[in-house]
Parts: sequence; structure tokens; C-alpha cells
Amino acid sequence: MLRFIARRALAALALAFVLATGGLVLARAAGGDYVSQSLGLGARPETIERLRAARGLDRPFAEQYAGWLRGAVRLDFGTSLLYQRPVRDLVAGRTANSALLAFGALLVACLAGLPLGLLSGSRPRTFAAQAVRALSALCISVPPLIASLLLVWAAGVTGLFPIGGMTSLALDDGRMASRLLDVLWHLPVPVLALAIPLAATLERIQSQAIAGALADPAITAARARGVSARRALWAHAFRLSAKAPIAVGGVLAGAVLSGSFAVELVTSWPGLGRLTYEALVARDVPLVAGCATAGALLVSLGLVVSDVLLAVADPRILERAAPEDAAAGAAP
Amino acid sequence: MATRFRSGLLSAVLILVALAAAAAWYLGAQPARDEAVAGGDGPRTLVTTLRSEPATFNRYTGAGRAYPTVLITGLTHAGLVRINRLTDRVEPWLAESWEVSGDALQYDLHLREGIRFSDGEPFTAADVAFSFAAIYDPRTASPFADVLRIGGEPLQVEAHGDRHVTIRFPAPYGPGLRLLDGLPIYPRHLLAASLEAGTLGEAWGPATPPGEIAGLGPFRLARHEPGQRLIFERNPHYWRTGGGGDPYPRLDRLIVELVPDQNAELLRLQAGQIDLMQSELRPEDYRPLKDEADRGRLKMVDIGTSLDTHLLWFNLTGAACEAGRPWLHHPAFRRAISHAVDRRAFAETVYLGAAEPAWTLVSAANTTWHADVPEPALDRDLARRLLAGLRLTDPDGDGLLQDAAGAPVRFTVLVQKGITAAEKGASFLREQLAQVGIGVDIAALELAAMMSRWGKAEYDAIYHWMMWTDTDPAGNLDLWLSSGSAHLWNPGQPDPSTEWEEQVDALMRRQVASTDFLERHALFARVQEIVAAESPALVFAAPHVYVATSPRVTGFTPVVSRPQILWNPDVVTVE
Repeated sequence: MLRFIARRALAALALAFVLATGGLVLARAAGGDYVSQSLGLGARPETIERLRAARGLDRPFAEQYAGWLRGAVRLDFGTSLLYQRPVRDLVAGRTANSALLAFGALLVACLAGLPLGLLSGSRPRTFAAQAVRALSALCISVPPLIASLLLVWAAGVTGLFPIGGMTSLALDDGRMASRLLDVLWHLPVPVLALAIPLAATLERIQSQAIAGALADPAITAARARGVSARRALWAHAFRLSAKAPIAVGGVLAGAVLSGSFAVELVTSWPGLGRLTYEALVARDVPLVAGCATAGALLVSLGLVVSDVLLAVADPRILERAAPEDAAAGAAP
Repeated sequence: MATRFRSGLLSAVLILVALAAAAAWYLGAQPARDEAVAGGDGPRTLVTTLRSEPATFNRYTGAGRAYPTVLITGLTHAGLVRINRLTDRVEPWLAESWEVSGDALQYDLHLREGIRFSDGEPFTAADVAFSFAAIYDPRTASPFADVLRIGGEPLQVEAHGDRHVTIRFPAPYGPGLRLLDGLPIYPRHLLAASLEAGTLGEAWGPATPPGEIAGLGPFRLARHEPGQRLIFERNPHYWRTGGGGDPYPRLDRLIVELVPDQNAELLRLQAGQIDLMQSELRPEDYRPLKDEADRGRLKMVDIGTSLDTHLLWFNLTGAACEAGRPWLHHPAFRRAISHAVDRRAFAETVYLGAAEPAWTLVSAANTTWHADVPEPALDRDLARRLLAGLRLTDPDGDGLLQDAAGAPVRFTVLVQKGITAAEKGASFLREQLAQVGIGVDIAALELAAMMSRWGKAEYDAIYHWMMWTDTDPAGNLDLWLSSGSAHLWNPGQPDPSTEWEEQVDALMRRQVASTDFLERHALFARVQEIVAAESPALVFAAPHVYVATSPRVTGFTPVVSRPQILWNPDVVTVE
């Protein structure tokens, strides 16, 4: 299992490198650059050239990329052109904020989507199941941007939750518990905006999976031996159906990250999505690369966790992945 | 079986440890709280917004040109003089008086006595000399260095004692000290080392602790929560007082929330969570907020017609003119467009009625300098005749013009993506010009991409928002002079490529050098006549400026230029 995780981690690092390089190249290839963008229309050519030289942007791209690569090996991703701070410092804090959002969204999505999927899949002809299916269809079609705008509006009208931001203005208590509670208080709106379509997706997948599991001969045999319907569902069929939602978990991590771009902007959540947007608009190429790296690592983490959980749910996956892992696992 | 269990258990433990470490790191990574800041329920706290985070607190740098830094500088710093946005006149600020030499080349400024920076250090003439030295230092790469030049030469600034500064202009300059508006004076005691090391351009970045930034403005930065908000508290050493000795500023705290989305910003205003929005209202926001204002839940103010507006200009560079489609660069083509567009309908459609038809680059709201020039009336028959004069005809009667070579009369307009007024305006123009047989394609680009195309002169036409840096035309020389970097239609010409641009250059140079206001006014009126006749850029409407505040905001007198309310932060208060 450890070798399995290590292989997945190496693949994640390779993915991060590819995406970071892609981010650098694409940001560079897009029209305009940081200097002309920041100085605006009508800046004098000599001022532009002076600032380009000061930021090292007058060097050939290959030379800039080689310098970035040398730094990246030491986990130094350069200095943000826009903020004049180390990219690593900027990205680290924002990544943590986005990770909190992502974790919360996935947790809520699982807690809502999986049980509803069990309900709709195990009793498909009931009114409740039909209502759940209809609700899921509606929620899947609501993109995170629209969901966040609606939730922000609802929060503003009802006053139940903060409209935006991550912390309260009035909080001056430096105690960690107070800060944690304050952050948790600000989570519902952005988390729900991300979780709603995810929960609907998980519900649909779980529903299909449990329906298939209940039709499995093993369940029929268990029922024939006198196992109750409830025990057959929860103790046996649910375990059989777990692979399907786990398998898409990694993909959903990517969906959460892409959805967070819009949600963070609307809800003023200081996360990686917002930072990436600012970096792209400003043509801050090192920061774009840093954000792409962080995003890739987040997605990769989701994929690794998904793969590990899948291997726990179905150890045969280890055998298919690497027979020596399975052999190590089977040895006394 | 046992091995599998141990392997699974080990994996679970590792995951839990990683999660716990991440949680501990996350919670520990939050910025420390500044204990000096009072709680959020102070009696006079105003909450406003910014759309994006300041990239720097250093106004002298290129990144300092962005609006967040400009706004923050207005709150925390002060200059030698200030332009009163209500009267449009220069008034004493840090300099309480001055004398001008007979040749109008030297100004002797007398600084106010007893002024201290927000950290308590005394302000002296040495800080003024230091500020100019910092700006002119090439290592700072300051855009101010380009602005503070007359005829390409810098100002000579010398400190004499603690309160006397001489500023010598290299050539006569009509606007005089107006040039110094918006130039903050920085503390030598905090930044001298950076200047000496050549790193002043990197000083006062966004991670700078608030205690290391000091200014002469009404507020000082108390706390910066990256990505969330900036909190300003009153400057205890602020030099300005109101009538009767009332202390300024009238606010105890000013909080700037970072809200990237304008719709979310509007919702926060309606929910009472903020007092002011960063920017003026969009036309589509008017109706819902008007209902709220009528119910007393908001205040809405129609400040008047904007000084700034969208311009449509064509690529008149040499390369473009030689590349074919000579009709695209002919003034008659532009005059035809001007006659073909219904400006009243433009104001109704694009700005939902919240605009006035406009014809000149200098807005009618600029009452000091706006000149009455002929305004082309809506006359599509005249437009067609002008186009026919360029041999642009419709031989097959399909309503679309062709040039002499049979090619369609069609051009592309670049607009900034995401700006509703720009995209709607361009769409309206397309519809209007179709009525006279001109085809228009619209390309919505991100700002950086659009500017890149403009810089490389790879475009037909651009429809973009023009922000004037000053109402005085001398403050916009880069636009009016053919050699100017902001001469939109053909920037940076070594010599004027047209006779009319040569005339405008000569008039503007005389206008800048004259110290006689009436002479300057007459010269600039002539410039506006010439430009109106040649129409290198077309204007169609000047929008009204509306601002909305919470009912508790008082004491302010809004102006049309940004920041509409916080241009005079000393007097703004809340009930």
C-alpha cells in the first residue's frame, strides 16, 4: 500500500510540473505583459523598458524559464510581479483557504449526496426517490457561479449567514477557538455553493451503484439465507456500491477547484481561485505558474486519496496495479 | 489478512496525522491580530470596498498607479498642494503659501509648521527634497518621473531649512503647482535607506507591517488582512482641523473590504454591511437601488455628467494607413460615422437614459475647459454622401457598402471584455452603422490583450474608456501631442504626420507655456475645434455618475471623478 501511495505521489508531482510549465507558457503567450498592464495606456516606452529590466522581463523566455526551473527544484517559485512577494508565501496561505473550502464542500456533498443516493437507488418507485431525482437534476444544472450569487442574495436578505469574506470584522479575540468558529461561521455560503452540484452528482452515482449492488447475486443469496433487507442494504450492498462514488472522488476534487474560482470571487473568499484570477489578469507569470502548481497538487491529493480509499474498499485494485504490492500485503 | 489490516491501519494513521498537521499549520498560519486596533463597533466607523487588493502601498511605483493604491494613498498621505475637486482650483495643503518669481520659473513654498508624520516624526523640507529625489531616481522606475517633467527636463527641488522649499521649473509652465496634485510626500526617515540601496521601488509592498508605513494623511493603516480587508484608524498627528478647531478626520475608523464581484458589492450595500461602494453605479443598478432609496434604506446621489467617457478611435499609424483600406483612415469616414449614429438613442440604449449625448473629447462636465464646437447632427443621408465621396457604394443593393475594389466596407472594433457599457456601446454602433452600409465586427478582449494590440498597432478601431488625469489640458499632454505616448490614434510620432496634428502640437505647446489663463483658454478652444473637425476619436455619450451610500453617511460633497466621496476623507462621517 505504501508503494502504491508513493507511486501516486510521484505521478502527482509530475502532473504539477507539467501544469506549472503549461501555466507559464500560456500566460506568457497571452497578449500583453505585466509591465504594460500595470503602467496602462499611454505609458512611455522608456518607462516600460526600465520597469521590464527591473523585473527581469527583458530576458529571453528560455532564460526566464531556466531560472524558474532552478528555483522550483528548491521549492522557490520566484517573486510575484504584482505583489513583489515570494510566490510560495502567497500561494501557501491561499491554498490552505481553498483546501478548507474544498474539504468542506466534499464533506457536505458526501453527507448529503450518499444517503440520498441510497434512498433513491434502493426504493426507486417511491415518491421520495422521485423527488430526490428531480432535485438532483435541478442541482446538477446550477453552476457554482449562479449558486453562489443566489446564496449570497439569500444570506443578505435573511441575515442568517455572512454574505462574504472569511472572518468577521468585529472579531478581535486572538484565541484560536474564536477564530476557528468565526471561520466556520463564514463557510456555509461558499461551501454550499460548491457542494450543491457535487451532492447532486454523488447522489446520482450512488443511486445507480446501489441499484446495481442490490441486484448482485451475493445480495440475493444473503436475503435467501434470511438476512434482513436493512442489513443486506447497509452491511453488504452499500459496501459493494462504494467503489463508484469513491472512483469519481478524484474527478470531483478537480470540479471543486474549478468551481471555486467563481465562488471565491463572488463570496470574497481569499483562496487560490481568486489569487489565480488576479494573477492572470495582471499577467503575473510566476504567480500563475505557482497557482497552477498548487491547484495541480490539490487535485492530485484528491486523486491519491480517492485511489487509496478505492484500494481499501477493493484490495484487488492493488493486485492489478502492482502484483508485488499485493504479494507484500499477503505475506505473513 | 493481518498484514493487510496493519497496512490499512498504518495508512489511516498517516492520513489522520497529515490532516492534523495541516489543521495545526492552517490555524497557526493566520496573521497575528493587531491589539492596538479597537473593536469593530466604534461609534464612527465607515465601511467601504475595493474590488482588488493593493499590489503595493508605494504610490511612486508602476504598480502604484492602480486604483487601490491611489485610494489608500489619498487616505494616508498628503501632498504639497491639492486640487479642490469642487472648485477645480489648487489650494494650499502641506505648503501653506508660496511665491512665484517674475519669470514664473521658481516657486518658493513655505511649509506648515509643527506637522508630524503618523508615527510622530516631524515633517520637514528635507522630506520634500527626498520625495523628489526618490521619484527621479532611475532605479525607482517611477511613472511620476515622466509626469514631473517640463519639456523633458525634471524639476529642480531644494530644501532650505525646515520649512522652505524652492521648486524651479525648467521652462514656463502655465498650470504651475497644479502639476504636484496627487504627489504624496514620503518620510525620509523610513525610506532613505531603501533609496540609497536602490530598492525604493520594492519598498512598502503589501506584506509591509503597518507600523513601518507612515504618512501625513488623515488616516494610518492599522491592520491588513490579506485578501479580506484593510483597516485604517485616525492619524493622531494629523495636522488639519475643521472650523472651530474640530479635529479631523471626523471618522475614527475606515474599513476597506475587498469584494471582487460588483454584484456581491451591491448586495452588501443593500444588506447594510457596507456604507459605500468603490465605484459609481452601473445603469442596470439604478432601478433596484432607486426603490431602496425611496424607502429610505439608501441614499442615492446624481452627481452629474462624467468627465470620462468611452472613445471610438481608429488606428491612424503609418503602417495601418499603408496597409490598404484607405477609406478606413480618411477623416470623411469618421465624420460619416459621427453623422450616422443617433446619440440620443445611444444614451437611452447603452446607459438606459442615464447619460447625455456628447460630441467632444473634453466633456461638458469640464466647465473650465470645454469649448462649444460644431456638433454633427444625426443625418444618415449626409453620412451616405460622405461615404460615396470615398467611392464606397452599394452596387448590388444589398445594403452593404463596397469599396472601389469590390471589398466590403467592414472593420473590427476591439472592446474590453466584461465591461458592459463598452460591449453594449460597440453593439449599438454596429447596429447604427449597418443602417448606412458599414459592417462592424466586435472583438471583446481582456484588457492586457487589447492594450497589447494597441501597443503594436494591430487593430482597426478601439472603443474604450478614457480617464482624464486632470481637467487641465496640460495634464494630458501625452494625449494631445503627436509625440505623446497616449496619443491614442497614432502615438509616439517623431514628427507630426499630418498638418492638423502639427497645428495642435504648436497650440498645445503655447498653451502649456502661457501663464495667462485667458490666452490658455483661447488656445485650447482652438485645439478642440481642430480636433472636432478632424475627428480622430469619436464620442457619443457622457454617462451620469450615480453613487449610493448607506443612510448614515454624512458630511460629504460628491464629485464626478473617483473617488467620488472619499476625495475629501477628512469631512466624511457617519451618524
